[in-house]
Amino acid sequence: MTGRKPFLDALAAHLGPEDVLVSCLGANARWLPHMKVAAPVFALCDSMSAAVPLALGIALTRPERHVVALEGDGSLLMSPNVLATAAAAGAPNLTIVLWVNGHYESSGGQALPAAPVDWPALARAAGLRHVETVAEPAGLGPALAAARRAPGPALLVLPIAFDPLEAIPPYSERPAEIRTRFKL
Amino acid sequence: MTTGAETIVAGLEAAGVTLAASVPDTWIGRLMAAVRGSGRIRAVDVAREEEAVAVACGANLAGGRGAVLIQNAGLLNCGAVLAGLVELYGLPCFFIVSLRGDYRDPVYYHAPKGRVTEATLQAWRLPYALADRTGDLAAQVRRGVEFAAESRGPFVLLISGEDLA
Repeated sequence: MTGRKPFLDALAAHLGPEDVLVSCLGANARWLPHMKVAAPVFALCDSMSAAVPLALGIALTRPERHVVALEGDGSLLMSPNVLATAAAAGAPNLTIVLWVNGHYESSGGQALPAAPVDWPALARAAGLRHVETVAEPAGLGPALAAARRAPGPALLVLPIAFDPLEAIPPYSERPAEIRTRFKL
Repeated sequence: MTTGAETIVAGLEAAGVTLAASVPDTWIGRLMAAVRGSGRIRAVDVAREEEAVAVACGANLAGGRGAVLIQNAGLLNCGAVLAGLVELYGLPCFFIVSLRGDYRDPVYYHAPKGRVTEATLQAWRLPYALADRTGDLAAQVRRGVEFAAESRGPFVLLISGEDLA
C-alpha cells in the first residue's frame, strides 16, 4: 500500500487550470499550499463532511469545469448520505476522490470505528455508477480521465498507507486567503 | 391568484438566486414545489441539511447564488457547518426555514423545536427575521439574500405554513 504524498503528487500532476479542487480538512489541505497545482483550490480547515457537497454546488453551477472533491474516509463515514445526494444530482463533472486510511489523521491518528466498510459497494448502493479503486499512484491519471468521461458523478477510492510519523506541514493559509484566492 | 410560495420564489428569482438546496418538510415541500416551477432556480434535493449549506456555499463560490430551504429541525443540525464553513470562510448563505412548533403550528410534536429556534439563532448570532405575510414577502426574501451577500455571512428568514398560502 502506498502513502499519501505519491498519490497527492499524482493528483496534482493530472489537474489542469480547467479543473477545480476542493479538499477536506486535514493532511491533504495542509500539503496543498506547498504544492504546484494548476487548478483553483478551495481547502477546508474545519467542517468535516463539507468537501463533497461544496464541490457539488460548484459543479452544478459551473458545468464546464471538472470539480474534484478530496474526501477522507473518516469524514465520509460521518455523512455517507452525501453519496446519494451526489448520485441524485447527477453532475457528470464531479469526481470524488476518497482517501481511505482508516484513521482520523487530523485529530491525532485515532482509528475509525473498526468496521470493514466496503466503500465501492456503499457508493454503488447509493446510486453512483462510476466507481473505481485506484491502488497505485500511476493509476490515478487514467482513472481521472475515465471519471471525466463518465456520464454521472464518479468516485475513486484510494487505499492509503497510514503513516503516523508523516511530517505534515501546518495549515499555512487562513480561510479568508483561501476564499479570496479561489477564482473560477 | 398568486400564492405565498410563488411570491417567495419570485423574491428568490429577483434576488438572483440560481440554486435552492433543500430537505423538505410539509411546508418546505410546498415551497420547493414552487421552486421547481421556476425556470431560473435549480432545485437540489439533498439528504441532510448540512449538505444543503455546503451546496449553497459552493454555488456562491462558483459565481451563482445559493439558498437553503429547510425545517428548523434541520437548522438545529447545522451548527458545525455554520461555524466551520459559512462563518469561518465568510461565505454568504441565505436560509428559508420553516418555523415549526410556534403558536401557528397545529402539529403538537413540533413544539419543542419551536421553543428553542429563535433562542438558538440568537445564541449562534445568526441574523434572522420572521416573515410578515401582511407585507411584501418577495421584498423580504430579496433583502435577506442581499444581506447575506453583503455581509458575507448567513441570514435566516423564518416562515410559517400560513405564509405559503
